[in-house]
Amino acid sequence: MKKLILALSLIVILCFGVYSVVYMQQEIPITYDGRGTDVYELQQNPGDYDVSDPEPDGVASIIVKENLEKTQAVNNVTAIVFDFRGYDTLGESFILLIAITGATVILRRRRDRWEGGK
Amino acid sequence: MKKNWKKDDLIVRSLADNYLPIAIVLGFYVILHGNISPGGGFQGGVLAASGVLLLYLGYGFRGIASALNMERMHKLEAIGALAYVFFGLLGIFAGYNFCRNILFDSGSIGDLWSSGTIALMNYAVGFKVLTGVGFLLLLIIALLATEPGHEHDGTITTTEQEALERGDSE
Repeated sequence: MKKLILALSLIVILCFGVYSVVYMQQEIPITYDGRGTDVYELQQNPGDYDVSDPEPDGVASIIVKENLEKTQAVNNVTAIVFDFRGYDTLGESFILLIAITGATVILRRRRDRWEGGK
Repeated sequence: MKKNWKKDDLIVRSLADNYLPIAIVLGFYVILHGNISPGGGFQGGVLAASGVLLLYLGYGFRGIASALNMERMHKLEAIGALAYVFFGLLGIFAGYNFCRNILFDSGSIGDLWSSGTIALMNYAVGFKVLTGVGFLLLLIIALLATEPGHEHDGTITTTEQEALERGDSE
């Protein structure tokens, strides 16, 4: 029974994945996909980064100039942390979870003396 | 420190009574307004979790043990982490990639409800950090309080009420 439920949920997730692959190219503004940037040239010669250009390339100018229309978050840092770098925040919060679990394991014997708070 | 030191400090307890609501309200304000004002989930969660320490200062180990449940806090932290993943998966449910902001245009700029999944992820992380740091503080306090000879290990009375109940006379 457990295996059946697991298989069904995996199939559902797989269906969502296939669906997302099919409909990936639609009109929601993507935050940054490297369009219009020659990343290799920029990496070879960082001095060539054109700051005088009113529409310079690179993720920094997109974050600064197109933040409001892409995310509608007034706080720019929150937009970066939760949208542009969502995976980063995901990893950070799981590191916190793992750290707390490790502390629980180390201090387990002491905690038993408390007997669950009573 | 004398072993028979009794902790019944009225001044500290009154200050904790007064500052606990302020700390919790400030923490939840910073979490709620994470997308429109300086701050965010992490910072607000830590601010609100400092209420645990204020409770410990005012009411000691017994007050904390009767008010908060450690196991439940640990479970709620996992629920917060799962909520973050769920809000990230909303993009996949709608047919795009992970962490895609699909609700970005629901609400006007500058309102409390704006910026779609950014605000929702912000609340999830705030809840997660609030319960996680609170659990960590509870763990440290429990470690301190179960040291033998500590005032809260059950062998020394800590308040006058407790001394009356146990019949100690000093």
